[in-house]
Amino acid sequence: MTKPGRIPPWLWLALLFLSGMVYAALGAPDEAVIRQQMAQAILSEGTNQQKLLGDLADTGSKVVRDVLSAWSHDAVFIYESNNAKTPVLLEDAQDAGGKARAIRIIDGQFVKDAKGMELRFGANDLNSADVDMRLRKGIQQALDSLALADADPEARESAVSKLGNSQKLQYIPILRARRGVESNASVKKAIDSAVALLQLSDTNSATQLAGVAELARLKDMGSLDALKRLAAKPDCAPPVAKAANDAVRGLEEHIARVNFFGTIFHGISLGSVLLVVALGLSITFGLMGIINMAHGEMIAVGAYTCYVVQNLFGSGFGFSIVFPISFGGSQLHFGMHLPGLNATGWVYEGYFLVALPLSFVMAALAGLVMERTVIRFLYRRPLESLLATWGVSLVMQQLFRMVFGANNVQVSSPAWLQGHFSINDVLFGYNRVFVVGFAIVIVAGTWLLLTKTPLGLLIRAVMQNRNMAACLGVPTQRINMMTFAFGSGLAGLAGAFLSQIGNVGPSLGQSYIVDSFMTVVLGGVGSIVGTVCSAFGIGTADQVLQQTTGSPVTGKIVVLVAIIMFLQWKPGGLFASRSRSLD
Amino acid sequence: MKLNPYVLKRRLGKWVACAAAFVLAVQSATAETVKVGILHSLRGTMAISETSLRDVLLFAFDEINKAGGIKIGDKMYMIEPVIVDGASNWPLFAEKAKQLLEEDKVAVVFGCWTSVSRKSVLPVFEKDNGLLFYPVQYEGEELSKNIFYTAEAVNQQAIPAVDYMLAQGKKKFYLIGTDYVYPQTTNLILYKYLLLHGIKIEDIGGGLRKDDSGKVISAGKYTPFSHTDYQQIVAEIKQFAAGGDACVINTINGDSNVPFFKEVAAAGLTPADCPVVSFSLAEDELRALPTKDLVGELGCWTYFMSINTPENKDFLGRWDSWLKTEDHPGVVKEKRAMDSPMVLSYDGVYLWKEAAEKAGSFDVGKVRAELESGTISFNGPGGKNTMEMNHHTVKNVYIGETRANGQFKILKTFDGVAGEPFLLKDLDAKLAAASK
Repeated sequence: MTKPGRIPPWLWLALLFLSGMVYAALGAPDEAVIRQQMAQAILSEGTNQQKLLGDLADTGSKVVRDVLSAWSHDAVFIYESNNAKTPVLLEDAQDAGGKARAIRIIDGQFVKDAKGMELRFGANDLNSADVDMRLRKGIQQALDSLALADADPEARESAVSKLGNSQKLQYIPILRARRGVESNASVKKAIDSAVALLQLSDTNSATQLAGVAELARLKDMGSLDALKRLAAKPDCAPPVAKAANDAVRGLEEHIARVNFFGTIFHGISLGSVLLVVALGLSITFGLMGIINMAHGEMIAVGAYTCYVVQNLFGSGFGFSIVFPISFGGSQLHFGMHLPGLNATGWVYEGYFLVALPLSFVMAALAGLVMERTVIRFLYRRPLESLLATWGVSLVMQQLFRMVFGANNVQVSSPAWLQGHFSINDVLFGYNRVFVVGFAIVIVAGTWLLLTKTPLGLLIRAVMQNRNMAACLGVPTQRINMMTFAFGSGLAGLAGAFLSQIGNVGPSLGQSYIVDSFMTVVLGGVGSIVGTVCSAFGIGTADQVLQQTTGSPVTGKIVVLVAIIMFLQWKPGGLFASRSRSLD
Repeated sequence: MKLNPYVLKRRLGKWVACAAAFVLAVQSATAETVKVGILHSLRGTMAISETSLRDVLLFAFDEINKAGGIKIGDKMYMIEPVIVDGASNWPLFAEKAKQLLEEDKVAVVFGCWTSVSRKSVLPVFEKDNGLLFYPVQYEGEELSKNIFYTAEAVNQQAIPAVDYMLAQGKKKFYLIGTDYVYPQTTNLILYKYLLLHGIKIEDIGGGLRKDDSGKVISAGKYTPFSHTDYQQIVAEIKQFAAGGDACVINTINGDSNVPFFKEVAAAGLTPADCPVVSFSLAEDELRALPTKDLVGELGCWTYFMSINTPENKDFLGRWDSWLKTEDHPGVVKEKRAMDSPMVLSYDGVYLWKEAAEKAGSFDVGKVRAELESGTISFNGPGGKNTMEMNHHTVKNVYIGETRANGQFKILKTFDGVAGEPFLLKDLDAKLAAASK
């Protein structure tokens, strides 16, 4: 039986073979040929050399890029023996005498003497290959077009915008040539705006006007500075200056629009974070009426679960605790080590999908234990529940410190949560889009559970009137236990998500407890709809104020003051619910 | 046999003389001790950073004691550490400093991390004429005759970093930091420095705050400690950097760096297009950060663990073997890193030792005179340190690039940069002259 998650070796071989076939069939430039060409280019002269450089630039090969950039920095050397010249590079690693092995460019092998011993050289032992001004320019152009031919579209885009900002007109034909063969839409757009940007540096005002018109059409935010510079130039022709000013105005309007939609999205995503964090509390505090100060630590349980799962997918997880109590000279010692899967690639990236349900389960279990040992004695005494749960939270924080250390731990985001896409220049980070979807799913799940299932009916019955429900034969003890565990589990899910955007440390919970209570209280204790509305309300208001005041602190202060005023006016919150247990 | 009383007396005299000589011999073998104070937070928020400094100080003391101690005149003195805990509580720092100076009567104190703790002990050291060595990068604009700053001054960290970015052809600088004295002062200095180097006001991002007279009193964007939501700020940086040739100068302190860098990575701001230079992230902090998101971003310190010199390798080897064998309570032995504040603490101990030995006394006045003479220097793990008249050291400054293993790859070295605490006045004068 094969182990799950492991690909049998024969399949690997087959894949390798296939990919080799495909590569060969596509006519990938052969490295050996390229190396021959490079050696030739270094040793030849004049127009022939320029032509060879042009050929090399078309290969898009990394070896060429390395050698060319070394060449322009005088780091390609000529090794002469028996009247034959061999171009070489010196290895980075030097021995004690500052000497290094020489790598032949023609075949990538080390230079050896007649007996087959590797020769070592210092930088002064060899002559460097000749470079003059003209050649250096040629090399630089070859390097630029090489970057334009990079396999990675993002690298191409970055190279394009670098050329666009260079203010050197000679790049226009190179960029246009690339435009002809480019297939990626966003690189195409980048090339268009780079060409237009370069046109601004032209002395001919017709060309400048064409550039300005193109930039105004493209609405490329990167061109704002260049357009402003152009309009402010003293020798700028009046029609060009006017067109540039119009384009600047158009761009500024465009940026304002981008900021507007960006802010709304930021607000929704911050609201989703608040919602995810507060939803668990809206069950334990809102429905059950327990002032649950340990809610934050349930979030931390979820976050640490994520950390442990990540390590189990990697190199394993171990900890050891030494208790500072001694029994007859020997200290109480507890520790364990779980071996890791050493997974790589997409299996490792998938750890988060395993961590999500597990963090729910772990936090729910922690909640279950807490309910059985502490909370169940305090249902009629809400103020005491505040003190008791606060105590529990302190104990749990110390536990985190003992097991995971006082420092924050590293949780790396899986690749599929990194990066972004953009619509009309408004950025949507994958992690932010994920949290919005995640919030929708768990709110929908909670709502379905509470309103459409028999368990939900029982939960609502018990929370509205515990004694009456008990009289009707509802097992209130078990329902209490399950509700509290469910609320804690939701907090755990929040923790798993927070580990992707922030810190994971022993005091993680402390930084979210205030936000959670604020959201639940503003929304109206006991109302899930209220929690949803208040989370999105607070999130959007915070981001809009941050955008308009320009300071992250002022926004927060204004929001807090507004909440206090609102609660003065409507103490029950947005959606005040009437329930006998709260009266 | 009955002893002749005369003989008895003579023998007894011999014994007494012998015993006395023995006692004397023992006394000179067990050398005298000198009390030295360690004043760091071992509890509270700052404990994570400051306990590392206590550890490296104990390491330096053990090393000196093992080599025979400090030679004053022809006597050898062993260092006896007196450790007190400031507990991240600034008024408590002042109380503990008073205790060290007045009750324990220590010869010197090594301590403090935050500027506010230093400001709170400063009057105590001046009143009791104590001696404090301060090892952590700081904002300058201070000079006490009782404090020696082995720390990086702004011109030994922020300014070389900006020089490097200017040399790389960067034309737009976005300033962002945590809202307290060090980032505020540093950014104000950098703002003026950038203006002086031909950067236009509109190319310095983050916003300006002016007082009623229109004078700029704060430059850059500030977030509180433990801030977590960097969406808007990163979106702003993205727009700022869209025109190319931009970089970010980051003085965010503590764990807010995690959400900040995660947001930067998510927005697709790569070090190739818009590098972030951080002044508060050293190897010790990188242990708790997702280094994957930071690869290629820059740091600037006067020491990097990756410095490839025999001195540094030897130093790290000694530190590792000390960690294995030492038995001081509370020293964590696993997964330790070395960084600039730790090395500057270590350097401080040796600078003080050298000065005391030259002065032939532990007297604060005499030691200070030696330290101020400009002849006291120590060849530390990060290169040569020389204490100057202005209580700051001359040392090497390194620019490094973060790597995935939490270390720095050194890109540039500035040799022998002299620390200068007062920069604002000078910059103001130069700016005024330039505007005329």
